[in-house]
Amino acid sequence: MAKAEYTVLGTDMPRKGGVERVVGKGVYGIDLNLPDALSGGVLRSEHAHAKIVGIDTSEAKAIPGVRAVVTAADAPDVRYGRSYIDRYILAKDKVRYMGDPVAAVAADSQALVKEALKKIKVTYEPLPVVVDPEETMLESAPTLHEDMPLPKNLPEGVQVKNVCGYTGVNIGDAEAGMAEADVVVDEVYETKMIHPQYLEPRIAAARPEEDGRITVWANAQAPFPVRTEVASLTGLPLNSVRVISTGIGGGFGGKGSGVTSSAGLEPICALLALTAKQPVMIVMDKAEETISTTIRSGCKIWIKTGAKKDGTLVARQGKVVYDAGGYSGFGNQAGGRCTQMVGGWYRLPNIHMDGFTVYTNKQVCGPVRGPGGPQATFAMESHMDSIAAELGMDPIEFRLKNVPEKGDSIVGVPKLRDSSLAETLNLAKEKIGWGKIQLEKNQGIGFATGAWIEGSGPGGGAVVKMNEDGSATVHIGKVDYGTAAPFGIPMIVAEVLGIPTDDVTVLNVDTDASPWDAGTVGSRSMLVSGNAVKLAAEDARDQILRMAAGQLEASPEDLEIVDRQIQVKGAPSRSVSLASVCNAGHNEIGDVIGRGYFDSKASQAHERETGSSQPFTTHAAMVEVDTDTGNVKVLKYVAVHDVGFVVHPKAVEGQIEGAAAMSLGQALCEQVVHDSDGRTLNPTFVDYLMPTINMLPRIEAVTVSGYPGAGPYGTKGAGEIGSVPPMACIANAIYNATGVRVRRLPLSPENVLRALREAGK
Amino acid sequence: MGLEIKLTVNGNTHTAELEPSTALVDFLRDTLGYKGVKLCCNTGECGACTIIMDGKPVNSCVVLGADAAGADLVTVEGIADGDELHPVQQAFIDTGAVQCGYCTPGFIVSLKALLDRTKSPTAEDVEEAISGNICRCTGYTKIFDAVELAAKRMA
Repeated sequence: MAKAEYTVLGTDMPRKGGVERVVGKGVYGIDLNLPDALSGGVLRSEHAHAKIVGIDTSEAKAIPGVRAVVTAADAPDVRYGRSYIDRYILAKDKVRYMGDPVAAVAADSQALVKEALKKIKVTYEPLPVVVDPEETMLESAPTLHEDMPLPKNLPEGVQVKNVCGYTGVNIGDAEAGMAEADVVVDEVYETKMIHPQYLEPRIAAARPEEDGRITVWANAQAPFPVRTEVASLTGLPLNSVRVISTGIGGGFGGKGSGVTSSAGLEPICALLALTAKQPVMIVMDKAEETISTTIRSGCKIWIKTGAKKDGTLVARQGKVVYDAGGYSGFGNQAGGRCTQMVGGWYRLPNIHMDGFTVYTNKQVCGPVRGPGGPQATFAMESHMDSIAAELGMDPIEFRLKNVPEKGDSIVGVPKLRDSSLAETLNLAKEKIGWGKIQLEKNQGIGFATGAWIEGSGPGGGAVVKMNEDGSATVHIGKVDYGTAAPFGIPMIVAEVLGIPTDDVTVLNVDTDASPWDAGTVGSRSMLVSGNAVKLAAEDARDQILRMAAGQLEASPEDLEIVDRQIQVKGAPSRSVSLASVCNAGHNEIGDVIGRGYFDSKASQAHERETGSSQPFTTHAAMVEVDTDTGNVKVLKYVAVHDVGFVVHPKAVEGQIEGAAAMSLGQALCEQVVHDSDGRTLNPTFVDYLMPTINMLPRIEAVTVSGYPGAGPYGTKGAGEIGSVPPMACIANAIYNATGVRVRRLPLSPENVLRALREAGK
Repeated sequence: MGLEIKLTVNGNTHTAELEPSTALVDFLRDTLGYKGVKLCCNTGECGACTIIMDGKPVNSCVVLGADAAGADLVTVEGIADGDELHPVQQAFIDTGAVQCGYCTPGFIVSLKALLDRTKSPTAEDVEEAISGNICRCTGYTKIFDAVELAAKRMA
């Protein structure tokens, strides 16, 4: 389909930067070689909740070779945060989780850093620790942030404590709707904290420049927000801070930015460099990351749904308690999204949901791959199977009965332009062989659907600069960690300009040169930078065609660029090379520089009017449960997705497969475990189990077409939605295999066996 | 400084000093400049720092640099033949198995070690050979594809 219409789009162009990566050329943050750089390190709290009575750095400072020791007292009295501005660069009066940064050191060697960190004497006055988010809301709980108010939108009469975010969903009349139901199913689900565990450790490097500026290198997904944080927390104006993005070895939202990742690593490194007046580089240890950087939060979800005998959904009520951790971080945003998604994406006329995001003495919530979505869907889609079972209906038929159609509204979407949900359900059913495949004893098949409503967010720009040989150099604000930047973006530029992808270079982000961007987050790379780069390439093409028009004695509209040649449409012999026009341009308009901007507000306004096309998905899994050990083996896994137009099939499949695998990890084994003191019990990879190749099936990613989205050429975000259904999908397959519903993650041998035993199996 | 050791990496002989406590991964990266050897878990669990040491794949984060005295090492930098990529490297690119690429050197080295041991590995051999390598981007599906493609091309 794509190939007939386009030259480049729809093909599997080799990844830009692929060769460097397979031969081991150092391209990542951790490979940065900064001459004369000091080593940096961070002292982290050993208490989950304590008052800081005093910090004595004198002994550490006295060690020869120690060049800087900093605490909150050395930084401007400024706090940071996303919805609650509740955090200092280094903990000031209190620590709120075990891992909270308290002080930092720069020294001539890593060994000296370690020695100096040990010599910093922090006097703590321990306070009661609260790790359970439900407990933290009670009046009896300790107060975590004395000067943070409760959310302004909290409904009247609600008595809670330590709440830093509230989201309400109110559609129709849930109570009245529930009264009309023939069947009511009421359940409680629980998910645990996981860490994104990208493989490349977080780094930060900073170098004070002779002119008073500072250059910061970061392997962060959002270089511009990093610049904002570095400037504000060190007291510099924005034009004095330059952030350069290094290559990035995985992120998944965990490297979102300083604020949202809550590591604060770049500002801390900048403060050290400014104090030492020397370059400093910090490389985090993986165990240090597990206890201190941001995570996918655990949450507890109460969900109650009423349905008619024929399977029509009539009402839903529910509550979400979402764990923000020691600071608000991304908790309000993720908890809010979670609450909305528990409301679901089916036709449902009456919904009432209360979502509370609460402080606890644990690691801080970040925007990890589909923030809030996988947790919500574990509950919502497991629950849908429970209702189907209660009604005695086939789980696919029950869902099909309630799928939204064109013109419908669902939570977060006023009007749908179309709906692919039914097609993904039918295709998943066919691909997994539901009703056809002969299941052995203790084998089962499960389904779960998913959505990832394209949220609001800022726009972003792109610049396409033509070189005199006809090649193009592209600036965007998104970083290269294997998503759109090295795949879809150069392909769009090549398609518009009629040049091969080899002629397109996409630069990594340098805040001194790149257009502003909110970051490589939210499945928005193609939507924002894809749209912007298409406009920028079209702008460059228009400038080129206007110049060529005179030479070819034709109007610009009658010209096209094909394979580096500008030619008259229908008369390809009348042509001139792209290179000669770009070169000649130096004497006419200067460089050909195309500029593009994705206007997010206008796009959203348009979609409010015409309706929007949202990405939907259905996953299907076949599992075998060992009833003696509780072990679950995934035998087959199919992920059917509508991600709109597919620019690079393998890259899109790779996003779907990787996202699914991450949530399969959470389904089967992953969790960060804490004791009641708030100590992380499994910080290293020895104890933090993640899927290896022998644990996972080969995931079959399938895309459906015909539902164009708001991205360029009709693309939709593909980076996160694959992580939405897997946990529910596996839970539903276990139910199908054993008749036992497991409502608490992970679906580990221990939890599955306990559930089997409790059910007398 | 403590010890001076002599070793061969990718056919090049090096003589260098190191502290007795230095891990081989740090020695290779920081002293000898083989940055293709990736640092990650420091506990021998993720396989990002895999190298071939005297014919066997090892996690270089849990080997002391001093233990590499006199050894013959191969890192990811030593696998291509000049500008010509090894079939496994080319297959990783062609199948889309390289996303962020941080785990890629470890996978390629593990697979190279496997193919040095046996010309026609079974699916179980492949799974065993790379079960110590973690990838967080791909979900392993494209890595399966890459191994199959490389095997087909090498047959």
